[in-house]
Parts: sequence; C-alpha cells; structure tokens
Amino acid sequence: MDQDAVLARNAAAGDVAAFTALVRAHEAAVRRFLGRLTRDGAADDLAQEVFLRAWRSAGAYRGDGSYRGWLLRIAWTEFLGSTRAAGRRAARDQSAYEAGQPPQRDAEAALDLARALAALGERERAAASLCFGEGCSHSEAAEIMGLPLGTLKSILARARTALASRLEIG
Amino acid sequence: MMSDDERIDARLSAFFSSPEARPDEAFVTRIERALLAERKLAAARVAAWRRFRGETAASLAIVVAFALLWRLAPAGLPLDQLAVGPAAAALLVLFLWFAVELRPAATGW
Repeated sequence: MDQDAVLARNAAAGDVAAFTALVRAHEAAVRRFLGRLTRDGAADDLAQEVFLRAWRSAGAYRGDGSYRGWLLRIAWTEFLGSTRAAGRRAARDQSAYEAGQPPQRDAEAALDLARALAALGERERAAASLCFGEGCSHSEAAEIMGLPLGTLKSILARARTALASRLEIG
Repeated sequence: MMSDDERIDARLSAFFSSPEARPDEAFVTRIERALLAERKLAAARVAAWRRFRGETAASLAIVVAFALLWRLAPAGLPLDQLAVGPAAAALLVLFLWFAVELRPAATGW
C-alpha cells in the first residue's frame, strides 16, 4: 500500500494530521488544474472546497486509483458545479481568465498558454490540462472527467489541434 | 522515431510544465483551519441535536405524566376542589423549566 493510501485510510478515520499531509502533497496539482480551468481567479476557493469535500467523503476513496486522480475528479466536479451554479458557462472576459493563471517558468509562454487555453471549451481545457499539464494517461483523464476513453481522445485531439495552432507548434 | 502527435504532445507538455514548487504552507494552514472549524461545527451540531432530543423527551414525559394524573383523579371530584389542576401544574412546571433553560447563562447570551 503506498503512502497516500495509508494517509487516506487514516484521514478516513478522522486523522486531521494525515489529511493535512495529503493536502500538502497534492495542493499544487489541484490548484494548478483549477487555475487552468477557472476564468476568474477563483481557483483557491474552489480548491478549498475540493479538499473539504475530500475530507467529508474520505471514506469513499477506495485506493483503486491514485489519490491525486481522485482529488482531480472532485476538482472537475466542483468546477462544473460552480460554473452551473453561477451560470457562467458563457465565454467570459479573457483578461480575467489570464489573471487567474498560476505562475509559470516563463511569463511570456504562460501568457501565450493562457490565451490559447481561453479559446478552448471547458472539456478541451480540462483534458489538455490533465494530459499535458498533470501528466495523466488518457484513461486516467477519462476516469477523472467521467468520460468514455474514446470521447476523451476526441476531445484531446481537438484541444491538441487548437493549442498547436495558437501556440504555433507543428 | 516520434510521430507528429507525439512531438506536438511533447512541445505542449513543455508549455504546460511549471517549476516544482514547495508546498504552499499558507494554503495548507487555510485548509487545516477550515477542517478544524468544520469539526467544531459538526460537534456543536451533534450536541445541539442530542440536547434537543433530550429536552423533547423530557417535555413529552411531563405532558404524559400530567395527562395520566388527570385521568387518575377521582371521578366525581369537582375541579374547583383541586388545589392545583394538573394542567395548571404542568404549565407551572413548564414555565419553571423554560425560566431555567432560557436564563442568559444557559443560552450563552
């Protein structure tokens, strides 16, 4: 059993210290993923909701996938819920989206990437963030987004084409 | 030999890559505080629910006790011969109970 699974089991038993260790290990990935999805810089608030939800349903983690993947699935669900609740599915101000992006190694490249991502739909953005940003396999990304593998691959292919075009790769 | 897609994927992954950052302790602390606050709230909710159940049971017990006393009263006894009728006694006890329960020190006001 890996370290995350042991910590998750202890967290499910109410061990706050174990859960804090999991937060410390995975907060960057969750915030980065949400930062690329959200357009209004609300990533940290959403990330807090993700971790609180993970805490409340700690017993639901079965250990059959990575804990990070489980958190990212909660993050995707939270993101969809937040956009539905606020009725914000329509395209929004791009500059606000860019302002919410996490710091990157190269500021110019980060801005280019933010602009390219802003032009994608939610699902394309999430698929690209998971596969290119978080290093998830296609099947893992499909599992996180609750999609059939073939659908995920189609979405990712669209995202790849759009990003490559906008970032002048190819 | 890499295919076109693999080459593009590698370039895109490079665009997405961000430096390995140390854990953001401020964010970890924020979550920790939120967890502790949630725990306290849950404990307070459990305590309030337990107290509510206890007090409801006590109230029902008083009402049932006085109802039984009322039924056990001698059949032909006129009510005005009772020093204190059961309903009046019940009201008195309930009033005292509320007075004790709702005093500022009990409610934390």
